[in-house]
Amino acid sequence: MRRSIWSVAAGILAVVLIAAGPSIVVSGQLLAYQDGFVFFTTGDGFRVAPGIVLHDAKTGGRTAIVPGPRVWARATFDASGTVTELDLSKSPLPPEGSFDDVSRFAVAASTPAPNPDLLAYATTATPGPGQPLTNTVSYSGKPVLVTFVVQVPPNTPFTSSVYISTDQSGWNAQAIPMDRIDALHYEITRRYPSGTIFHYLYDRGSFQSKEVAQNGMDRAPRNFVVPDADVRLVSDTVYAWQDAVPGNSNQAQPQIMPTPYNPAPFPNLPPNLPPPEPPPGHKPPPA
Amino acid sequence: MRRIILSSALTALTVLFACMSARADAPHTLIYLKADHIEFYYDRFLLEADGNVHLRTSDGFTVTGDAFSMDLKLNRFLVAGHVTLHDASGTVSGAAIADFLDFQRIYFVPVTSEPDRWTFLNGDLAHPAKGRVMPGDVFYFPDITTHPDMTGTGAIVDTKNYVRFTGAVAYVGGLGVPLGSNVITFSSNQYFAQNSLSGATADITWQLAGSPNALTAVHLRYDPTYKIYGSVEQHFVGDHDYAIFSVNPATRAEKWWNAMLYEKLGSKFQIQSFTQVYTQQNYLSLPRAAQQTTWINANYALPHSYVQATSQFVNYNILGPGSLEVPKALGGSLDHPSFVQITANSFQNRIANLPLFEQIYEGYGFAHDTVGGQQYLNGFPQYPQYPPVQVPGLQSYGALCAYQPKTKHNLQYYCPTYTTIFNTVLGFNLFTPSLKLNHPDSPYQEYYFNASLTKQRQWNSLPHYIDNTNTNLTVSRQFSRSLHTYVGYEIQNIGDHYINGGYEQCQQPNGQQTTYCPDSFTAFRGVATLRTTSLGLTDAPTPTFNLSLLVRHHEDFPIPVPGLFAFPQNNILGQPLYNWWLGQPPYDATAEIRFKILPHTLADVSRTYYWYGNPYREQFWQQEFVIQLLPI
Repeated sequence: MRRSIWSVAAGILAVVLIAAGPSIVVSGQLLAYQDGFVFFTTGDGFRVAPGIVLHDAKTGGRTAIVPGPRVWARATFDASGTVTELDLSKSPLPPEGSFDDVSRFAVAASTPAPNPDLLAYATTATPGPGQPLTNTVSYSGKPVLVTFVVQVPPNTPFTSSVYISTDQSGWNAQAIPMDRIDALHYEITRRYPSGTIFHYLYDRGSFQSKEVAQNGMDRAPRNFVVPDADVRLVSDTVYAWQDAVPGNSNQAQPQIMPTPYNPAPFPNLPPNLPPPEPPPGHKPPPA
Repeated sequence: MRRIILSSALTALTVLFACMSARADAPHTLIYLKADHIEFYYDRFLLEADGNVHLRTSDGFTVTGDAFSMDLKLNRFLVAGHVTLHDASGTVSGAAIADFLDFQRIYFVPVTSEPDRWTFLNGDLAHPAKGRVMPGDVFYFPDITTHPDMTGTGAIVDTKNYVRFTGAVAYVGGLGVPLGSNVITFSSNQYFAQNSLSGATADITWQLAGSPNALTAVHLRYDPTYKIYGSVEQHFVGDHDYAIFSVNPATRAEKWWNAMLYEKLGSKFQIQSFTQVYTQQNYLSLPRAAQQTTWINANYALPHSYVQATSQFVNYNILGPGSLEVPKALGGSLDHPSFVQITANSFQNRIANLPLFEQIYEGYGFAHDTVGGQQYLNGFPQYPQYPPVQVPGLQSYGALCAYQPKTKHNLQYYCPTYTTIFNTVLGFNLFTPSLKLNHPDSPYQEYYFNASLTKQRQWNSLPHYIDNTNTNLTVSRQFSRSLHTYVGYEIQNIGDHYINGGYEQCQQPNGQQTTYCPDSFTAFRGVATLRTTSLGLTDAPTPTFNLSLLVRHHEDFPIPVPGLFAFPQNNILGQPLYNWWLGQPPYDATAEIRFKILPHTLADVSRTYYWYGNPYREQFWQQEFVIQLLPI
């Protein structure tokens, strides 16, 4: 008799377990927790069990963290797709499971419909430097090493510093100092998230010494979109600096030679020129 | 003078009107945001808010929620948690809403009886596209691991232009500085960066007001010359024009009032000016001294060439005789030098199929009253036998005047006097691109060669002519990803040739030595040759660390003589104003190091050491370290 009872109980338990199926665990960042649903940043909303258990993801014990936007969670789904447990954390949790496995549990009143914007994206290539950003491209935002190499005009003073000024740093003229690599080239490598849209110009430390177009006109900023690549090389040419246009680099100044015997208009001498000092031991001629 | 002021004022008004009437080319939206806590991350232009988020947009809807996130560069925002969307058609509740402003797509997760996915197309909130698949990252929060650079209780975002915070607290080195109102500009309009201030070691900027076309900023600055001081700058910016006004320093008796104006008319012509007025005055009292300089520059583009006109007008002393400047740095000079130069430049052209490029230019102009007639050596105060000596300046050329007025120190006067000197300039550049010298397997073993030659001659009506020749040869090699070196040799030749007279002889005509004459100057008649050998090395292992070293050897004529030359004047940062000058020490080495000191700040420190000392053999180190703090 006892044996038959145990057999029936085991059978019922087996039926229940088979019906419940194995639980699924997925971790991710929460978007919202409201109205009996939990939403992840994938945009998917899942039904929450009435007696959902909230735990601290690190200790496994009780938690004071309130589920809501920005909170990280490890969600346990039962076989019916209801979330039965949330382990919460304010810092990112290690990836666990895949939302592809639970997407069928996401609740949505409407039937999914195709998005023409995304179909256009699938057939669009990443733009190269200088090409406009089309509105159908998205980027992962991963850090990309971008190396800028610029050829400067041959009349660039040998001791000049060259900088990149960009809208990414508020157009600060000295925000990105470059390094001279030979007589005509400067280089700098910086790390930027992919998808960053660059507007930039080269300069020599101020906007009065920024680059101008080959025809002497103020040039529009260069454009560059950081692609989804590991590294990217950007090569540019500067034809002239605003403050050193050929022909005006040496202004019409007779007696340009700065010597103490021609004290002005030599701009590199102080206004109150110190007189030449006779060498030590020098005796002045008799008066 | 009155005509200059009137025309400048008229130009300023024209540019101001153009700036104020300019409209941003891309459609932009105003977003009024309030929340318990708002944070801004300057390096990624992220605006994050939490707690009782309430935003209203100029597109006609209001959103409330628990959290807000906006990428100002990508121009999209997200509100999540207990969201309500309210517009003229009613109110809908949901879990999250994301607005991709550039694409006119609003993605919404409503929660009515159960969740759904709606997409609002082109601002139409009344007819959602239900069930439309959304891009995968629509509701992603950014991964933030750094501390905020600014916090506030409210913000107004003018998309693609600026964000203005209320209750703003800026964090510098972890220290909170309450600012009240603060504007962060992220416009792609480069003219917001036009800067009329001088360089500074450090500059803390408080942008207290702004709009798509204007920006008002107060600067707290430090430099070794003026120490700590405050400055004010006002920008008016349009798509093709700008007007910038500033006073710097504003908190010292020495003030520089600046006005920069720019206008681009069509695609071929532009004109710009920069006017600087120096005053010495306490607060805004009557100036003790005032000086004015105006530069005007116009450019006209031609097919494969362009014409540029430059001019400069100076009034050394606006107040006239009797100014009370302390000390008398301006010397009470009443000179008003000016020059105008028109230059035609070609583009850079490749010569045949050779690895050689050329560019030629030609110019005409004149200089008026460039020096003034009162130039003289100071003499030796401790040796009355060396009295002040009148020297032939620009305007006094030729022989001694027949009539020599009697003066206390027997000054000598030269005749005739030229007040306006016309000139013609002809010059060319020749240069090679980087030529590979070898073809090894590793790119880190490649050597490159560069050469350039610049030659210019300027004929003056004085009459004399000035020759400038600059030859530059370099060989460079990259040793590793981060280490670059080059060796360079430069010959700079400057000849200031006079048909008659010209450079003052050390030996006075009457044979009596009244000035000190070092040997090489007895042969010097205005032709100098400077030969410089350079070794440059740059190591940049990380984007935030850089070490560079420049060692130079100068072999110049005239030979530097102890006691004869002065170092060139420094700029306010302590750097020499000029790249070369007569009397350079035979060897110098400059080290420069850049490193990160704060999350968004690089320190740049450099100093020069002079082997064998400077020509006086008393000063071996550059007077002080040159330190700059650069934002990153």
